[in-house]
Amino acid sequence: MAVYKRGYQRYEGPRTGTWDRLMVLPRFSWGQLMSQRLVIAVLIGAAFWPLLCGIFIYIANHIELLAGFGQGFQKFLAVDGSFFKTFMIVQSTFAIGLAAMTGPGLIAPDLTNNALPLYFSRPMSRWEYVLARMIVLAGMLSAITWIPGLLIFGMQVGMAGSDWFSKYWNLGLAVFLGFAMLVILASLVALASSAWVKWRVVAGALVLGFFFVLAGAAQMMNSIFRDSAGSLLNPLYLLGRLWAAMMGIDSPDESEPGLWACASALIGFCALMIVVLERKLRPVEVVK
Amino acid sequence: MSNEIIFTEVSKFYGEVLGVNRVSLRVPPGITSLVGPNGSGKTTLMNLMCGLIHADQGTISVRGISPRNPEQLMRQTGYCTQFDAAPRGYTGYQFVSAALLLHGYSPAEADERTWRAIDRVNLREAAPRKVAGYSKGMRQRIRLAQSIAHEPDVLILDEPLNGLDPLVRAETIALFREFAARGKHVILSSHVLQEVDVISDQVILIANGSIIAEGQIHNVREEMTEHPSQFLIRCPDAAKVAALLFAEDHITEVRLHADRQGLLVLTRSRERFSELLNQIVLGGQNIESIVQADANVDSLYEYLIGGGR
Amino acid sequence: MTKLWANQVLTIARLEVRKAFLSKRGLWVYLLALFPAVLFFGHGIDTQWKRKQWSQQVTSRSLVESVQIGERAADVRLKLGKPLRDFEYRRRRDGNDESRRMMEYFDGQRRYQFHFVDDLLKDKSDQALASLEEDTQVFSGMFQYFYLRLAIFFGCLGIFMNLFRGEMLDKTLHFWFLAPVRREVLLVGKYLAGLVASAIIFGGGTMLAFFAMLWALDPADVQAYWQGPGMGHLFWYTASAMLGCVGYGSVFLAAGLLLRNPIVPASMILLWESINGFLPAILQKLSILYYLQSLCPLPPPVDKNMPAVLRLILAPAEPAPAVWAVLGLLGVTALVLWVASQAVRRLEINYSTE
Repeated sequence: MAVYKRGYQRYEGPRTGTWDRLMVLPRFSWGQLMSQRLVIAVLIGAAFWPLLCGIFIYIANHIELLAGFGQGFQKFLAVDGSFFKTFMIVQSTFAIGLAAMTGPGLIAPDLTNNALPLYFSRPMSRWEYVLARMIVLAGMLSAITWIPGLLIFGMQVGMAGSDWFSKYWNLGLAVFLGFAMLVILASLVALASSAWVKWRVVAGALVLGFFFVLAGAAQMMNSIFRDSAGSLLNPLYLLGRLWAAMMGIDSPDESEPGLWACASALIGFCALMIVVLERKLRPVEVVK
Repeated sequence: MSNEIIFTEVSKFYGEVLGVNRVSLRVPPGITSLVGPNGSGKTTLMNLMCGLIHADQGTISVRGISPRNPEQLMRQTGYCTQFDAAPRGYTGYQFVSAALLLHGYSPAEADERTWRAIDRVNLREAAPRKVAGYSKGMRQRIRLAQSIAHEPDVLILDEPLNGLDPLVRAETIALFREFAARGKHVILSSHVLQEVDVISDQVILIANGSIIAEGQIHNVREEMTEHPSQFLIRCPDAAKVAALLFAEDHITEVRLHADRQGLLVLTRSRERFSELLNQIVLGGQNIESIVQADANVDSLYEYLIGGGR
Repeated sequence: MTKLWANQVLTIARLEVRKAFLSKRGLWVYLLALFPAVLFFGHGIDTQWKRKQWSQQVTSRSLVESVQIGERAADVRLKLGKPLRDFEYRRRRDGNDESRRMMEYFDGQRRYQFHFVDDLLKDKSDQALASLEEDTQVFSGMFQYFYLRLAIFFGCLGIFMNLFRGEMLDKTLHFWFLAPVRREVLLVGKYLAGLVASAIIFGGGTMLAFFAMLWALDPADVQAYWQGPGMGHLFWYTASAMLGCVGYGSVFLAAGLLLRNPIVPASMILLWESINGFLPAILQKLSILYYLQSLCPLPPPVDKNMPAVLRLILAPAEPAPAVWAVLGLLGVTALVLWVASQAVRRLEINYSTE
């Protein structure tokens, strides 16, 4: 007897919302990632630098504790743009490492094991899939970047008072926007690497290679051409310049690229990663 | 040198998961089928035979050669694995010829053998195309071609009939028979029990990593005395024959066919049943045919692995 | 038997080398290897173009050198005439806004830059448009900081890891294990394939970059260089690149066999090589890079942008003699390959765990 004759009724009840459906992927991914000891170790390791910075801020705002030290040393304890830029540089190293560890496992296994048709045969588009995967990385990287960054900024504001805030309010915005740029770039690079090479292990190397090999290549280009235009190939340099500009501490040489060039290059990198994802995330691979 | 494949107390663990447990086997030449449910250890046994994995305990000898010696072993062995992939970028032709070059054949001889093997599986037209673009059945056939190209003495095939259409299936079975007729080993695993029944000389039943039974099908069946043998009898006066059968204590069940001209008889003793039938015939009853209903792999599988019925 | 093994090694190498050379996925290795050559070639074109453009506006050297620190921008311009480039910009330093200006002049051989702060000359610099001495220094820096540490390192990582670990991931390694080939012979064959591919790619890349460096320079200088140390430099740079493939190749081949995730040891090796210059001399010798750099004809230039603190603690060890460097590398390679051969004999095909 056909099933319908037994009274099969199509489900007419409330359906799960789009965002709830989208968040299924991140929830499972987060659960898997948080069960890995190495990931937990990196997250814990990434907490030490903000902790040290917090201690630094406390001491800087309680200068009476250092009454015995000279004025030179007390001047060293300035909480300003340079302080937050240094904070961001150290945390970004952890962030890139974490992206290299966790990103490749998000798309590569789906491609290797032919799981994409399973996803795309559900009401989920390719870009929703990419967005869901990016949310995984954005969540993990946010936990070690702008969240602790804003926490220590808030700590400084609380201790230093409104005078300090009125002078340095832009630093909080710079921390948030600067880390947002890093999170977006690192996430796109990790996902594109994962989609490009399909092997998790190699994708991780590719993420590290993107940041560090390009830095070397940029340096090489600068030395060969006796110029600084090669720096536009160095994503770490681009981020550093934009962060410094947002914090008001940018002081480039005349030969160094301008801020618009840096921003355009960064956007170009992001666009390239999106193109890679668009080309590689296909449910069916045609072999000729 | 022995011409058997011998397993002696072989065990293999995958971490804490048991692959095979204290398996001892002697496999003579001919077509031998490995039968068992998924995860029972069939592929493990085959991989152990070919040296793709190593036993944690026990010894294996394939016609006198250890699987730890691939240089000698793989000259006489061909393995058609379950793994679907070919080295990246290889065409069907390259997939077969590369293996032959590694055997040490000259390029000319490798070429000739390659085309011969490809022709045997009817893939000549597809041979210049990449294996990655083949259908499932074509991949199965090209793997088969690769495993037979060097005319091995031992042919091991992991579910070789998967994905093959009926015509190709029949041709493949004919190929196995041809190999076995030349005194070679053909060891295959399959879930298509009717075909296993038809083509196999002997069967090995395996479940949960242990050998349940091995040998020729009817010999295995004879040893299973706890399961009454089933016979189908065709006779005009089925009711009368049934009454005569019921009088014997070794007859456990008699079922009359709907047309009243056939019986299904279950008996605990084949010898006494045979004598009884003789007496019934000599007594004047007409018996048209007698067929054993459960001397097949399907029944063995049900009795030994499926819980019996 | 040895003849059979040799034939099998060559067969395996032939089968695999095609994959290593022609795989689309290997394109990035070519990019890494040829990037310096492209840059030097581009620099050559840039130099020739600049020479052509600037020769139309030459200022005499004596005039240029007569400009003193502290002179006003307008006076300098009056003295020297219209510059090649003249741009102004503002810069903030220590909370103060500064007005800055830079003017460029060319005397036919050298480019001069004058830097003005608040209209007064604060700094002047000059640089040869094309200088063999400078370019060979730049090449040395490029080769030792980029080519050896990054290009060959990552290139070999990609090529050699693909040989076994890649086949495991592709589920095709059983193809080789089901051939009548000793596992050790298989290892040597695959290593040879990777080595041939990487040595040709990176050795060729080195030679191309070297020639690209020289092509736009003054022919007389180049002639003198070839007749002098040039041939030797080219030989040792190429040898260093190829030996780098020998050393790193064996390490990554073994890592791919021994570990499911060889990126972890690769990262550790990369970190070790990066901090190598800051370690005690005895520890510096525990590094493939140390021996490769010992073979380089010129020492690498110190990074001008390196913080002073780091420059203080940077203490490169005395380079090893070339013979020892080569023998040491080959010895380490043989040892690593022996370890890899033990691993490949024990290797089992179990794709489900990948």
